[in-house]
Amino acid sequence: MTGPIYISNERSVIGRMSQINWSLIFLVVCLACLGLACLYSAAGGQIEPWAGRQGVRFIFCLIIMLVLAVIDLRWWYKLAWPAYFIGLGLLMFVELMGRIGMGAQRWIDLGFMQLQPSELVKIAVIMVLARYYHGTAAEDTRRLSTLILPAIVILIPTGLVLLQPNLGTAIMIVLGGAAMVFLAGAPLWLFILGIGAGAAAIPVVWMFMHDYQKRRVETFLNPENDPLGAGYNIIQSKIAIGSGGISGKGYLEGTQSRLNFLPEKHTDFIFTLWAEEWGFIGGLFLLFLFALIFIYGTWIGLRCRNNFGRFLALGLTFNFSLYVFINIAMVMGLIPVVGIPLPLISYGGSVMLAVMIAFGLIMSCSLYSDSRLSRF
Amino acid sequence: MTLAVAQVISLTGDRSSALYIARGRLVLIGALFALAFFLLAVRAVDVTVMQALPQTETAAPVPAVQGAPLVRRAAILDRNGVLLATSVKAASLYADPTLIADPKGAAHKIVQIFPDLRIQDIMRSLTAPGRFHWIKRHITPAQQAAVLRIGEPGLAFAEDYRRIYPQGALAGHLLGYTNVDGRGLAGFERAFDDTLAQGQDSVRLSLDTRLQHALRREIENTMRQFNAKAGIGTILDANTGEVLAGVSLPDYDPNHVARADKDAVFNRLSLGVYELGSIFKIFSTAALLDKMSDALSMEFDARQPIQHGRFSIKDYHPQNRALSVPEVFMYSSNIGSALMGQAVGTKRLRTFYERLGLLTPMTFESREIARPLVPSPWRDIDTLTAAYGHGLATTPLQTAAAVASIVNGGTLVRPTLLAGGSAYGQGERIVSAQTAAHMRSLLRLVVTDGTGAKADVPGYWIGGKTGTAEKAQGGAYNHDRLLSSFIGIFPAHAPRYVVLIAIDEPRGNAQSHFYATGGWVAAPAVGRVVAAMGAILGLPPQNSDALKDPAQSMRAYISANAATQGVHDE
Repeated sequence: MTGPIYISNERSVIGRMSQINWSLIFLVVCLACLGLACLYSAAGGQIEPWAGRQGVRFIFCLIIMLVLAVIDLRWWYKLAWPAYFIGLGLLMFVELMGRIGMGAQRWIDLGFMQLQPSELVKIAVIMVLARYYHGTAAEDTRRLSTLILPAIVILIPTGLVLLQPNLGTAIMIVLGGAAMVFLAGAPLWLFILGIGAGAAAIPVVWMFMHDYQKRRVETFLNPENDPLGAGYNIIQSKIAIGSGGISGKGYLEGTQSRLNFLPEKHTDFIFTLWAEEWGFIGGLFLLFLFALIFIYGTWIGLRCRNNFGRFLALGLTFNFSLYVFINIAMVMGLIPVVGIPLPLISYGGSVMLAVMIAFGLIMSCSLYSDSRLSRF
Repeated sequence: MTLAVAQVISLTGDRSSALYIARGRLVLIGALFALAFFLLAVRAVDVTVMQALPQTETAAPVPAVQGAPLVRRAAILDRNGVLLATSVKAASLYADPTLIADPKGAAHKIVQIFPDLRIQDIMRSLTAPGRFHWIKRHITPAQQAAVLRIGEPGLAFAEDYRRIYPQGALAGHLLGYTNVDGRGLAGFERAFDDTLAQGQDSVRLSLDTRLQHALRREIENTMRQFNAKAGIGTILDANTGEVLAGVSLPDYDPNHVARADKDAVFNRLSLGVYELGSIFKIFSTAALLDKMSDALSMEFDARQPIQHGRFSIKDYHPQNRALSVPEVFMYSSNIGSALMGQAVGTKRLRTFYERLGLLTPMTFESREIARPLVPSPWRDIDTLTAAYGHGLATTPLQTAAAVASIVNGGTLVRPTLLAGGSAYGQGERIVSAQTAAHMRSLLRLVVTDGTGAKADVPGYWIGGKTGTAEKAQGGAYNHDRLLSSFIGIFPAHAPRYVVLIAIDEPRGNAQSHFYATGGWVAAPAVGRVVAAMGAILGLPPQNSDALKDPAQSMRAYISANAATQGVHDE
């Protein structure tokens, strides 16, 4: 009765496995391996302390991704709100625990990794918005009243994350959510107004910023002001990238990054290490791989024949690419330093898990691109 | 059936409308991302190619060739004028390929003069486009003469300076080193790069080469004796904070940095942070004496280990009775010190540590300065552990300076490498003169009656405190991996010098009855350093009967039934 245009969803797990987007997985694995190679180099040519642990995490996350990928998209549609509320609950839980006496701890210790709920909430926000816009008629998206719920959905976790305080992640949640709202067709003037209001709010935000955040912005505007203190990282980063030249110094030969000139070389500043050792060409190659993922994710989104999958795949892809852009722009001194890691490359469990969950969902969108989802 | 079909069609209609909007918006977002990635690529060109180019090949060497004024980097001297670093004129060989008639023949002759070069590399330099390619930097006059005998007009020399460290590894960590172009990359060379490059004649440091030798020798011997992983030490002038000697072993020869391994390049003295253990009892005891006028008559019940959540604080040598402050100090009772920390109070102890400069990175003429690891937030349990030197990791150098600030009469000193004292200002009062006097007596008591007995050198009135910290490893303390240390002051009546030695992971041996504690490992080493200093500095031992032992004033507070056991441990 549903007609021939809808392919049956009742496929065996093996059948679904064979239809998984193996080329996307290949890209993801490639990037993760480059990341492990970077961590190996960052430790001075040793597995410990970073590459080994990250490798184990990646394999674990890869399995999770494959499992998520074969789960029916309709399940994800149903799970959007529960995921959102669980995410909010975890966020409030760490907030309360932090208040009660675990200090600035904003993660949950799982033993082998530390889980930051804010990373998972980012995905949940995109799921909920995808579900919401799936059920909203196209002509309604221009109406202001349809914006109330997305605004609430975005702002609650943003507020909680800001309390932590974690400005970088809060910005990512807002940008990721705004991209969804934009994509759904909210009026253009709203975004122009939003950007204008944001610019006008800069002096107010400035007043509320922590000293260290103010210093970062001042440092961004003029890093040479304080070359030993706040400007140190970004100056060293640019020196290291510059010293790589066109073809780089060669793997395991990056002196600037490895001689401890550069703090955080294994987390937020890992692109610097990569660019020093592999040069401009290596940097472009990495950008190229990330761009391929962006194109692939967008293509999956466009191919999706239900709105939920389309919004979900596009939203997650944009979110991923935003991470990449902000991180690389930061280490090259294009934007102020915000604590955003380079996905798939930087050392860190939570971000790895979040990114792999996102890819799992994108693959599910791809696998069930022809599924029919009811509107309500 | 018709109804269902209609529904499907209408849904499809909706979807395509949504799709239409999404496409338009999508193109915009896609374009934005494309622009963003393009921006990154452009920036990468900017950072790697445009900005890097001047530093590499063209700009830098050319002025040297054209005879532009080349500034000679200032020499570095120790406090007595002994040369620690200097720059000597050296010729560097480069090739101008446009003038080379026979690259192959020239390359073969060059390899005979410089066997360490590879013929392919030379060939590349001799045939590459452009008119300037380095072949070998900083060659000897004999090599230069040999190159001239080749008679190849395309081989020419540029004169510049080569940095030489006549003392080799002796003070390598503090001096640092430069790159081949004479820019400071580490240590003092890096911290004072601009000053040194300005062409003044010389800069005088606070170091005393003779004391540096003595300290390095004793640490090296102690490491060998106890099969230790690393050793750290410093000698400070207690009144000015001048670093007379500073050692971090393993170390490296700054003349040959490339050959040094990674561990050896790490300056543990200022860039390593350690929980120094019982040495911190100096600070918590001083805090108590300074805040409470009746502190010396207070007693602390050290009979029961302190339970605090999953932590328990125990003593190595339980005395099983209430202890006075001098007893807590000389037996190095953790329970007693924790209770003393509690009596001082969280806020006051933390402020006291802060004023001593133990909670922030120190000021020092180096860029290799670590930030102390400070509990955050600082809870009450942290006050208890910080009182006996756990849960808080500082650099050895800042810790030694903090001890100097207390024993010198109570005025803050900052460690400095510059002869004449730190440029960062000092002299703030930390504790009263009376507290400082009490602390000197207590430190002397540790050496006469307590855990530091092996540091004593008759006539030099050494006072001090042992520290034996178990190293934290994967969230727990490891009983077999110790950082054993001793900080000595002398003469205890009016200390002029502070001597710190810390030995990383010593293994007990038969002579030490298989103890590897600060009292057995570091205290005797400090004693030997002090004995050597006496000879070097011309300080005769003071043995006259008129000189009263500072420890005497503290004996009144020691219980008559105190066990006169041999205290080996803390």
